Amino acid sequence: METLNHLMQGFATAATPINLLWAFVGCIIGTAVGVLPGIGPAVAVAMLLPITVKVEATASMIFFAGIYYGAMYGGSTTSILLNTPGEAGSMVTAMEGNKMAKSGRAGAALATAAIGSFVAGTIATVLVTFFAPLVAEYAVRLGPPEYFMLMVLAFTTVSAVLGKSTLRGMVALFVGLAMGLIGIDQITGQARYTGGVPELMDGIEVVLIAVGLFAVGEALYNVMYEGRVDETQNRLTSTHMTRQEWKRSWPAWLRATAIGFPFGTVPAGGSEIPTFLSYAAEKKLSKNPEEFGTTGAIEGVAGPEAANNAAITATLIPLLTLGIPTSNTTAILLGAFQNYGIQPGPQLFDTNGALVWALIASMYIGNVMLLILNLPLVGLWVKLLNIPKSYLYAGILVFSTLGVYGMRQSAFDLVLLYAIGLLGVVMRRFDFPAAPVVVGMILGPLAEAQMRNAVSIGEGKWTIFLERPGSLTLIVIVLAVLIVPRLLRRWAARKLALA
Amino acid sequence: MTQQHSSRSRPLQTLVGAGLVVLALCLAWGASSVSSEAGYGGVGPNFFPWVVSIALLVCGVLCVAHALTGGFRDLEEGSGDERAHWKGFLWVSAGLLLNALLITTLGFILSCALCFVLSVRGFKSSEDQLDLRLQAWIKDSFIGFAVAAPVYWMFTQLLAINLPGLTNTGWL
Repeated sequence: METLNHLMQGFATAATPINLLWAFVGCIIGTAVGVLPGIGPAVAVAMLLPITVKVEATASMIFFAGIYYGAMYGGSTTSILLNTPGEAGSMVTAMEGNKMAKSGRAGAALATAAIGSFVAGTIATVLVTFFAPLVAEYAVRLGPPEYFMLMVLAFTTVSAVLGKSTLRGMVALFVGLAMGLIGIDQITGQARYTGGVPELMDGIEVVLIAVGLFAVGEALYNVMYEGRVDETQNRLTSTHMTRQEWKRSWPAWLRATAIGFPFGTVPAGGSEIPTFLSYAAEKKLSKNPEEFGTTGAIEGVAGPEAANNAAITATLIPLLTLGIPTSNTTAILLGAFQNYGIQPGPQLFDTNGALVWALIASMYIGNVMLLILNLPLVGLWVKLLNIPKSYLYAGILVFSTLGVYGMRQSAFDLVLLYAIGLLGVVMRRFDFPAAPVVVGMILGPLAEAQMRNAVSIGEGKWTIFLERPGSLTLIVIVLAVLIVPRLLRRWAARKLALA
Repeated sequence: MTQQHSSRSRPLQTLVGAGLVVLALCLAWGASSVSSEAGYGGVGPNFFPWVVSIALLVCGVLCVAHALTGGFRDLEEGSGDERAHWKGFLWVSAGLLLNALLITTLGFILSCALCFVLSVRGFKSSEDQLDLRLQAWIKDSFIGFAVAAPVYWMFTQLLAINLPGLTNTGWL
């Protein structure tokens, strides 16, 4: 009951005209960056981080969250019509949705994606409303050793499990951790790796890394390698679903929400895995398996899109209750909180309750806005795809400058931005994942502080991590996460060899 | 013989691995100059830097080893062309670096418009449609101005965030 009271107060805050406006603008920008190739929610939020200097915390968090989940709606439009997934989470949608579009059912695919996103987003928000306070209540009891192990778990999954190569994932993670080391040590106040450059004393802004890797790196990669890649756009048809299509979409949406939500909540991040799982489940359960991969099955779009949105919404649970980001965008959202001097964690619900509940309430409102923005108005968004690539990327570079320069007013940062962009090109060319860099960079300093506090509590003994049942359990989970997938793969390979 | 995809090139992969090794050695050198004063805890500010340097060193050596023995494992080739298009890259780089150099003197709008125009040249040249006629320059300058000016005004006028201008009016 208490939760409902809080939520009502949240609605009261979120529904003030100014906050509604922020949510609306956030949803519009989110949809736009989702639709536009070459720019994703992480970069968009990063570029707009300078507004944290002036805009009040609640309004800007509502705004950023709108961009975050808005991009998931917009992303499906691009993947269905262009077959170029805007981000990893819409890869499956791109496969199946593009098949549907090719056989003239683009409208139905877009409709099931948008409505599915709405259903999953709303259910997931309800779950966040009721579960987040419970998790926070439990999380208060965690000490530094448990926190440190939770962060190690996040590091492990984001670097070793999600990518194709564990080695390259680890490289990316440690490069990110190294970037996080630059600046003043939080505990002793010592300068590390600043090389006497005063600009480096405050550390490197996460904006710079995110914008450098994802926006500038992407633009440079594109000009170097993808100038001659031609894209054909599928024709948009009316966004109408037949009764039969509704009947086939409903169960897929619900199943996908059930699959996607848990993946978002555990510090094991990534929205790709649940989309693949949902796709596999729909393919197995479908009465029309022959449509998958040929003419395009509507379940294959409905499921993954809903799973994607459920997972995205659920990532707010570890972010808000534990202060642990599990994706690029949540890592940058954490940076936004830090700009306000707010450290997300179990106390957040007490210390900044009004903000959190307004944020959650705004998500209910935002999902409705997005449904309206994306169904009847989809034709408008599709027009964005007609912007010539040269103007699109040149514009992205201008916005990158705005975000990075607006943060610290330093021309030195712009040179650094270019250098990080070059790093991004090399990483993309040689298949190094970029997410671990951002997560490592922002979570690294926090993890280091927790580790040193933990060892202090243990009076200098490392066994503290093994003595506490909570942290011991987490160590076991980390090891399991590292070992089990490998065993399964080997087992599957042997089975294949026998067959 | 068909051209080999540049992300499969052995020298380049080795170079990437070697770069990591060098980075790790630099980090270790930096770590050695951080004090180890640990206070109560037994873990000082130099511990984590050492962990990161050593881990990166191991990763770098493994990358070099992989590169020399059959290439990076489970590699998904970078998308697009097999070879880089350096001319376009130079245009975009010029745009970005000139922007960094000129932003404080020319102001945000003009400097970014310049960056925009040069980048458009780069992307067009990578599409084999480089257009160096005066009218194209003028057209793109206008578009660049039209992109940069509104965001500048939004930041300086609406949000009161400080961005450099050519004048102190907050409009240019």
